[in-house]
This record gives sequence, C-alpha cells and structure tokens, in this order.
Amino acid sequence: MKTIAKSRLNELLKALDKEYNILVPFKEESVSKFVPWQEGVDPYFEENTLLPPKDILFPQTEKMYGFKVKDKSVEIEELTQEKGQQIIFGLRSCDAYSIDCLDKVFLTKGYEDGFYRQKRENTLLWALACTKPQDSCFCESIGIDPREAVCADVQIYDLGEEWGFTARSAAGEELLQKLEGLFTDKDAEPLPVQGFSITVDMEGVPEKLANMFDHPLWEEVSRKCLGCAACTYLCPTCHCFDIAGSVKGGQGYKFRCWDSCMFSEYTRMAGGHNPRPSKKERVRNRFLHKLYYFVERYGQLLCTGCGRCLAKCPVNMDITAIIRKIKEAQQQ
Amino acid sequence: MTNPLVPIRGKIIKVVQETPDVKTFHVSTIEGKKPFTPKPGQLAMFSLPAVGEAMFSITSQGPDHLELAIKEVGQLTSALHEIEEGQECGIRGPYGNGFPLDYCKGKDLLFIGGGIGLAPVRSLINYCIENRKDFGKLTVVYGARSVADLVFKEDLFENWPKVDNMEVYTTIDRAEEGWNGHVAFVPAYVEELGLKPMTTITCGPPIMIKFVLQALAKMGFNDKDVITTLEMRMKCGVGKCGRCNIGSLYVCLDGPVFTLEQLKKLPPEY
Repeated sequence: MKTIAKSRLNELLKALDKEYNILVPFKEESVSKFVPWQEGVDPYFEENTLLPPKDILFPQTEKMYGFKVKDKSVEIEELTQEKGQQIIFGLRSCDAYSIDCLDKVFLTKGYEDGFYRQKRENTLLWALACTKPQDSCFCESIGIDPREAVCADVQIYDLGEEWGFTARSAAGEELLQKLEGLFTDKDAEPLPVQGFSITVDMEGVPEKLANMFDHPLWEEVSRKCLGCAACTYLCPTCHCFDIAGSVKGGQGYKFRCWDSCMFSEYTRMAGGHNPRPSKKERVRNRFLHKLYYFVERYGQLLCTGCGRCLAKCPVNMDITAIIRKIKEAQQQ
Repeated sequence: MTNPLVPIRGKIIKVVQETPDVKTFHVSTIEGKKPFTPKPGQLAMFSLPAVGEAMFSITSQGPDHLELAIKEVGQLTSALHEIEEGQECGIRGPYGNGFPLDYCKGKDLLFIGGGIGLAPVRSLINYCIENRKDFGKLTVVYGARSVADLVFKEDLFENWPKVDNMEVYTTIDRAEEGWNGHVAFVPAYVEELGLKPMTTITCGPPIMIKFVLQALAKMGFNDKDVITTLEMRMKCGVGKCGRCNIGSLYVCLDGPVFTLEQLKKLPPEY
C-alpha cells in the first residue's frame, strides 16, 4: 500500500491541485460538506459530511440553456459547460454507492443526461474507508462495505498515523504512479471498522413490498410526516428535479433544480388532478421507490444506509424502523 | 444536439380552432422541416420558453410538420391559445413508446374517444388510413359534451366516413338544437352498438375511461386487447426527473400507451 504521513496530506493535495479541482469534506460551524480545496482549507475526516457530495455532479440548481424572445422570434442558446477535471476526495462508501445509483439514473435506460455525463466523466472518486460508524449509520445492513467503495478510483485507508492509498481503477493507478515520489510503500493493515449501533435485516424486503401497496402501514407511518422534504434534500440518492425558468425583458434561461416527491405540487397536473394527493401516497411512493421500485428497475436499493434522513428528520421518521415494520407486517 | 433536455427551435405555422377551448398547432422547425418523425401515440415536449414547457400527445403529422391539439387548462396552454401563426417555440422529442403497431396490424380496430382524448387516438387512426391495407375494419366511437366540443369535425364528418371499410359513430352528452345525431354518454353508446370483442384503443377523461372499461369487460373484450394512454405531470420526458412514475415504470418512457392487462399489474396511482 502507498502511504503518506497524515501531517503531509497537504503536500498530496497540493500536487493533485495542479491538474484537478479537488473537493474535500470541510466543516464550518455545524455544517459539513464538500468544498473546493485550497491552501488553508483543513479537510474534516472525523465523521461523514452532513450534506452529501450529490450536488457536485447534480447541482441543486443548474442552468440548462438560455433563450431570447422578441416579438414572434425565439432563440435557444446552449450554454458552455466547464470542462475541468475534478477529484472528490474522502467520500465514504455510502456516498460512492449513491453515485453508482445516480449513474444508473442519468446514464442508462435509453437516454444519457448530458449535464450529468459531462461532470461525471471528468470526476475521479478517492473514497475513504470508514472506521467509526456514526449513531445513524447502517450501510452494512444495505450490503455496502464501509471499507471498500463501489466506483472508487482510489481507496483511502486510515492507518492511524498515516493515510494509505490503493488504486481501484486504471485512472487511479496512473495517478498514484505519477505521485510516486510522495508515497512510501508499506505492508499496512487498515484500522478495523467499529460496530454499527443500527442494524436492519433487508432480506426479502423488496419482494414483500411488491404486495404491500394497499397495506394499512402507509397510513400509520405517514401520519407524523410534515412534508418538509429535508429527507429528500439530504439524501445522496434522491434525484428528482424540476425544470423552471427565469426571464427578464426578452432574455432568460432555463434551469433545473432539486425537487421533492414530498411536495403536493410535485405530481399535480394542469387540470388539477393529483395522483398522489395526500401524505399517505407521497410517503408510500418515497419508501417504495427506495426499497422496491428502484430495485425492480435498476437491480439495487436506492438507499445507502448513510442515515442522514433519520438523523435530521424533525419528527424522527426512521427508514430503519419502517423497514422493520415492513418485515413484521402481516400480509393482507 | 447531444442533450435530450435542450429543445430545438420550432415555429407554429398554423393554428386551427377546434372547439372553444381546443386549438391544433402545426409545428415545423424554423427551416420549415418536420422537427422529428414520431410513431403514432408518441409525445412531444412543447414550450414557449418565456412561459413554460409541457408534454403533449402528437395528434398527427404531415411531411413538414407535427400537429398538437391542446386544450386550454393551465398557464402554458392559456399562453398558447393567445399566440398567432408564425410564433416561434421550442420542441423536443419524440418521447414514449407509442401504440403497438405490429400488434394492431391485420386486425379490426375499435377507437373510443371522449373530448380532447381523441387527440392521441387520432395519430393511430391517421396511420391506419395512410396504411389502409395493413389493417382490418376501422370503427370510431367518439363523443363530447356538446356539438361545439367535438374536436376534428372535418375528420369525423367529412374525411373518415369516406374511408374504405371505416365507420364513425359520433355522440353528444345532451340533446341540442340542430343535432340530428346520437345523444348518449360514450360508454352507453359503446354498449348500445353491441360491437364484438376486438382490439380497442380508448382515451378520454378518467370518468369516461372507467365506464368504458366496465362496458368492454361486460361485452367480453380481452384485457390485453384494450389499449389506453395515461397522463402524468412530466418535466424531463426521459425517465430521470422522477415524477411520472407508476410503480417502477415511467409514463414518459415506458408509456404513455398501456394495455389494460399491463395496468392491472401496476399500482392504481394515476
């Protein structure tokens, strides 16, 4: 394994910074998120970030194209996208798995989303193996290995006094080779993962949900939901978006922005009909999407076990408690 | 263009007033060409960029244009009803699966429509007329609230009745002066006509669909031969933005055309 003393991490980031925009976890007051690294930015590796790295590839608001209108004329202008290479440095296995989910949504099933693809193909993932699960973490129960991230180009390990690096893709291999001078080669054992305080048994859950659309459980679990959408905004995999526009005078642009299936407007049609008119239908759709529909469509769960939604829900909606209820539910 | 979410420039070359609240828009590219060639039943994202963008069925097409029949119901459609010929617009597509042409070939077909619901069905009717020898007998049952609300009157009363081996039955909900035709709700008319089970394409307001499906079941029609199109709110049109799902399917991509057999396997959430 290639290693570097923790005190020399800045040297590595500085070397990477020459060719890449590096995004590192950073904590400011109570909010931790990924920010562009520069000299003086001290990365925060104590725990996973409050905000997932989702917005790096799928920004919360993203301009799509510009337009000009005058009398009867309409002009449409494509906007040029930045082409820079970037590295997401120190993301956890849960968030790497979320990028795998986003790749499936945006890059498969007939259409490739050009905005996402442009950023994704220029992004390398340097994933950090977890050693201390937080109180709300349950990735292992979802089938995610907290020490080996999917889609990683380089896997980073905490070795105590040093960081260890192992390439997981050809691009990662090439980059580690290039930086050879910074590293010491060593046989090293990564720190073990401490226990998870939450575990949940996912065995058979998607299959069981196939027959639970009309189950009274949804009425019960949706009752306390406020429809605030904090869960969907903090979720690393929630990918729903709205398309809207801004226009001043004869000029404007169209943008897309994160949307949430928790909002009543989300499915309301122009004539007024709404197929998911109340909290019950909306909450049910959210959980069925994560635990069953996505599995049916893409072959994997749309939940990473990162625990952000259960840590931050103002009324303590807890996806693991709901999974347990599903397991225990009597078939109708 | 590489990005499916970015429209191309279009131009509304003709506007036809169908009913007091329905207009048909003929759309070309600004070079005067057909924006794309959809299959019957496919959809287009149509926009006035300064107002909004929405998904519409493509009711017909000519060599150089697409036709979209649009009812005034919301913000964008109200703005569209105000515009004049020559107005430029944005258009992207085609989206969705379209009608199962191969399955329909060689068969007698029954088309049942209500109100603006004739718009998507008409794309297939016109296709069958253009490829007349590939299909058996064509029967259309169509109704609206009043004579004024009947869309595509030229097709209903002039063009289609002249087509070889094609019958058109038109009805209105309540009797009115000057109308000598049938008066009944569409589902009742379908039953009254006593048609034998055949492949059926139906589209209309949800309440009409509900009773049409009951009538067809009573008359012995097979679920896999009853085909309809669904509507959901859509933003992207390409299965990414999330909102038009029914179960694990997206109406924009996997629909809008479904057989009753398929619908019965999906959650009833549309």
